[in-house]
Amino acid sequence: MKRRIIGLLGLALSASLIASACGSDSSSSSDTAASTDTLAIPGTDSSTPTAGGTIHILSQLEQITHLDPQRNYTGSDLAFVGSTMQRALTSYAYAPGSAGSQLVGDLATDTGTPTEGGKVWSFTLRGGATYEDGSEVTCADIAYGTSRVFATDIIVDGPTYAISYLDIPQDADGNSNYPGPYTATADQQALFDKAVSCSEDGKTITFTLSRIVADFNYTVTLLAFSPVPKAKDTGEKYDMAPVSSGPYKIESYEPGKSLVLVRNENWSKASDPIRNAYADSFVYEFALDPAVIDERLMADAGDDQYAVGDGGLQPENLQTVFTDDRFKDRRQDDYDPYVSFTAFNVKTVSCVEVRRAVYLGLDREALRTAGGGPYTGDFADGFVKPALADDYAPSKLPEGLNTDGTPNIESAKAALAEAKTKCPDVYAKATVEGLKFFHPDTPIWQKLVSIWIESLKAVGIVIKPTAVEPSKYYPTVQNEETDYDISRGAWGPDWPNASTMIPELFLTTGGFNLTRNGDDPAYKQFETDTKAALNELDRKAQGKKWQALNQFLVDQLWSIPGTFTKAQDLWGSKVGNAYRWSSSGSFLFGELYVKQ
Amino acid sequence: MSAKVGTPLFYSPLSYLRIALITFIARRLLFALVLLAAVSLFTYLLFALLPTDPAALTCGKNCKPELIEANRVRLGYDKPIHEQYFQFVKGIFTGRTYGTGDIAFTCPAPSLGYSFNQHECVSSLIGKTFPVTAFLSLGAFILWMLLGVGTGTLAALHRGKWQDRLTSVITSIGVSLPTFYVGLLVLFSVVIWLQWLPFPHYASPSENLHDFLTAMILPWITLAVLSAASYTRITRNGVLEAMNEDFVRFGVAKGLKNRTVIRKYVLRAALIPIVTIAGLDFAALLGGAIVTESVFSLPGMGRLAIRSVTDSDLPVLVGTTLVAAVFIVMANTIVDIIYGILDPRVRLK
Amino acid sequence: MNNVRLLSVENLNVEFSTSDGVVHAVNDVSFSVHSGKTLGIVGESGSGKSVTASSILKLNTGITASTSGSILFNGKNILGVDDKAIRAIRGSEIAMIFQDPLSALNPYYTIGSQIIEAYKVHHKGVKKKEARKIALEMLHRVGIPNPEARIDEYPHQFSGGMRQRIVIATALINSPKLLIADEPTTALDVTVQAQILDLMKDIQRENGMAIILITHDLGVVAETCDDVAVMYGGRIVEKASVQELFVTPTHPYSFGLLGAVRSLDNSARGELQTIAGSPPSLLNLPSGCSFLPRCSYADASRQQCASFVPPLQNVLPTNSLSACHLRAEALNVLKIKEPS
Repeated sequence: MKRRIIGLLGLALSASLIASACGSDSSSSSDTAASTDTLAIPGTDSSTPTAGGTIHILSQLEQITHLDPQRNYTGSDLAFVGSTMQRALTSYAYAPGSAGSQLVGDLATDTGTPTEGGKVWSFTLRGGATYEDGSEVTCADIAYGTSRVFATDIIVDGPTYAISYLDIPQDADGNSNYPGPYTATADQQALFDKAVSCSEDGKTITFTLSRIVADFNYTVTLLAFSPVPKAKDTGEKYDMAPVSSGPYKIESYEPGKSLVLVRNENWSKASDPIRNAYADSFVYEFALDPAVIDERLMADAGDDQYAVGDGGLQPENLQTVFTDDRFKDRRQDDYDPYVSFTAFNVKTVSCVEVRRAVYLGLDREALRTAGGGPYTGDFADGFVKPALADDYAPSKLPEGLNTDGTPNIESAKAALAEAKTKCPDVYAKATVEGLKFFHPDTPIWQKLVSIWIESLKAVGIVIKPTAVEPSKYYPTVQNEETDYDISRGAWGPDWPNASTMIPELFLTTGGFNLTRNGDDPAYKQFETDTKAALNELDRKAQGKKWQALNQFLVDQLWSIPGTFTKAQDLWGSKVGNAYRWSSSGSFLFGELYVKQ
Repeated sequence: MSAKVGTPLFYSPLSYLRIALITFIARRLLFALVLLAAVSLFTYLLFALLPTDPAALTCGKNCKPELIEANRVRLGYDKPIHEQYFQFVKGIFTGRTYGTGDIAFTCPAPSLGYSFNQHECVSSLIGKTFPVTAFLSLGAFILWMLLGVGTGTLAALHRGKWQDRLTSVITSIGVSLPTFYVGLLVLFSVVIWLQWLPFPHYASPSENLHDFLTAMILPWITLAVLSAASYTRITRNGVLEAMNEDFVRFGVAKGLKNRTVIRKYVLRAALIPIVTIAGLDFAALLGGAIVTESVFSLPGMGRLAIRSVTDSDLPVLVGTTLVAAVFIVMANTIVDIIYGILDPRVRLK
Repeated sequence: MNNVRLLSVENLNVEFSTSDGVVHAVNDVSFSVHSGKTLGIVGESGSGKSVTASSILKLNTGITASTSGSILFNGKNILGVDDKAIRAIRGSEIAMIFQDPLSALNPYYTIGSQIIEAYKVHHKGVKKKEARKIALEMLHRVGIPNPEARIDEYPHQFSGGMRQRIVIATALINSPKLLIADEPTTALDVTVQAQILDLMKDIQRENGMAIILITHDLGVVAETCDDVAVMYGGRIVEKASVQELFVTPTHPYSFGLLGAVRSLDNSARGELQTIAGSPPSLLNLPSGCSFLPRCSYADASRQQCASFVPPLQNVLPTNSLSACHLRAEALNVLKIKEPS
């Protein structure tokens, strides 16, 4: 699901993302983690936001992937649509830095009330919210919107948590017995209405889940749980003209050209404590060449003074933008949501000493330099990014790991020597037969592979590379049949909770587990602890559990942490609030304002 | 000198010529039809034989196998290839309805398939994007022909003088520049740095002529300047060659004006080889000026094609490829016919 | 109308500047043509004969050509008139036809339209229908069978001989006083050649026009011309009546040419055999007589031949003019040496 977007992004757009799929050190990453909170946050300044003006968003894309709230599933689109047109039950705070991962009520008065240990969730509606036609947003609309997710032949591409979480019977194949609102019989509709119900007074919506989901109130930040007025639902066509419940509405939308948003006069600030809606309008300009976007932002002329890009800067412009003082007040070099990593096939590389030897001996610095240098990211110290403030703690990395990413041959050789006695089979495989390393067949990887081979040769480990056609890479390594020892990937959280990172990457049921770790002696322990964390309703206590699990993963080294990847932005000189919103890794578009 | 005019005209040579020309054109058209059939078959097979499963591409990230199978049936991908191709061709003439009952949808003739990515009939996607490409191509074509033939003729008539040398320097640079960088440079300098023009936002000429022209002028110039360079060369050489023709000297010896000689004798001869190249270049452009459309954000068919590649949107890819191929075949045919009209030696062979 | 001096060329010089240097294509050439008479200009390729002919219609006015001297036509100096005036003369008073009938007609237009065009350019305001009638008459006159059926055909639909007839029809449509025919029969086969020459002579008899016939074929000269100018290296080396040239050539080059013809078993139609050696480059003309390197008679006067360009002067007892340092007696002696 989301992994595919991220994975492909990693392959197609950012060679760096995959380039530095290797190690980190505790001191440097804890420094950077600290810096997020203590240093001035990029994109924020002291000027007071003012209303009015038009913000331009320059995009390489042909269109917004999906405007239909139930189909919207990428960080940047969620931030854009969520902050302008679609309200949800809960949201993350509209604030820069780690404050932006704070959960707050949106259509709901608060962040919801779990009962039965987190199996039933209730949200009280704030009331007073209206659509662009002035009609009221009702509890039934939220239920109806949620029900659309089940119509999987029409409502495609969106997140399907509603299907997997709600207490609706499924058949043997795992398909829901509820086919969505368009084709459901009365009996089938009753199944859904039982799982999602509104109180008599229409003020409370209650979700009954099939199991405990401790962070379901995070799940409902997704616009898949946003209201859709049944009378206005046009099914597949809704994607082009959804009804707005936010401060802006569509004036015109021509894919390949532009999307223009103007104020929704029927939105009232009184009903919406989150959105500030400073700008009068937004113009999303599509299908621009990335080189053109960068050049327009750098030139900062005319309307481009009010412009931001939605895709970050091109690598070739980074040097100019970050060394020229002209840009000093309108640039940022900050984390995006992703973590890159190198995964072992734990079935075949079943010896932690060998995995550690690889980690210690690999020239991670050379890999990062070849992939684009420090702009690509910081060496990661685990699988949870500092932006997940509750869940992150600096981890203790293996003894001897060099903080600057350079290899420590001595320690690596020592680890290998340990392996020789402890697990001679794997030792022989690593030193004689060779470890099969699957990588995407791209020019950058042809360079990186030789760094892998050369730096591990110094340790005594043999790497046997296999190049895979880029678009086939993830299907190949996710296929249980594929005989690899080492692969690589990158992943970002669906919401600011390590529950969308650690279980996805390392549970055997996870969406992107490349490690085949189910038979590892440590797995049972991991699975038990992870389920406990997932079921923990106290967010702080849950965070502690994720921190401990993150350390556990760094000790087991089923995967080697790569980098906490970064992205770089530049924006027009008269754009305010151009900070990167931690929950989406993009600008919080609706909050951008025109500086007077 | 008391010659007598011969017998009355029972037999009209004009109609004989007309018949010859019509037969010639008919022959060309027939050949083009055969070629088109072959091209469509080849294009369809090419994509049908790709290892990609077109049905699997029809639904999004959270797709279920049943949905894929349902779509396979709906789109006819469950049938053997020859039948798929037959349905495809039939759709071009009669339109095509996919599926049955409530979920059926119809692409009217000429149907080139249905894009599940964009939820639209391929022919309507092409219909929307093609005018942009056509306007772009046509404007650029006219501009570059005027520019290329004009400067080429000028250079030839001033052979060896500064006009000729200047042209030669400019064209040597022109033919070696890549469109992408010239496009960017033109856009950057005129729009972003100097701000002589607003950033282009394409509108169709009927809805906003001003926007249309401001969006088109730079791509026209970019394409025209780059293509004109080679046409200048061809024209210059053609004119110089033609000026050495005996019939040109004979024309001068008849007492014709220079202008008449250049128009009727020199250019007529010099332009014939240009027709061939121009026709094919124009057709290639109609198939999608991918780079120019991308740089200048024009919503044309080239961008549609590129997008279909990145999205693995197979039906659109087949459709755009086929349309581009049709243009090439048509251009070839038209070039042949124009050739026949321009040069009687060809048609009466 | 005969014996009126129609054209008189005096001291004509034509130079072309090229990147390699100045090409002296025509040097100090003088001759005259009388109405009703035919002047042959004979010489090898590159001897300057075609350039001389082109000068008469100012067809050498390319950017690199420079012409001096005078060309008096009907008392008017052609070299002095402007573009408009020369256009009025071209095709109307002086017409020109070219060597290759295959390429002299514009392949993209019907022959009718080309003849009509030639007529109308000098007869403004004439209706197309009338012009077409005249064109048909002319085609008929030059021997195109069934001209009504063929006037709207294209040049490539005609044979070479027919095309040259069409070219002649085009050239003569305005009844010019002078026809310059540049190798009109070279590209045609032998029987057709004779027909074309007969046609030209017939028309000349009818209308009394003068003809300048440029050729390298002495057979053609013998059959057609009244007077002959032999050109070599951009100069006229001998000027004579056709009878005197053939009976008593006065220049060693003319001997050579005639000898070559005669050696062909009395066939007066033989192709010109090349004389040993090659014609001089007009880019670097030798000082003195340009024929000297190929001349087998110059032993006695070699010093003189190498130093001075011989002037054209009368060689008694003939009426011929010859540009040779050898004296008549010597020439007679050498003529005997000529191999048979």
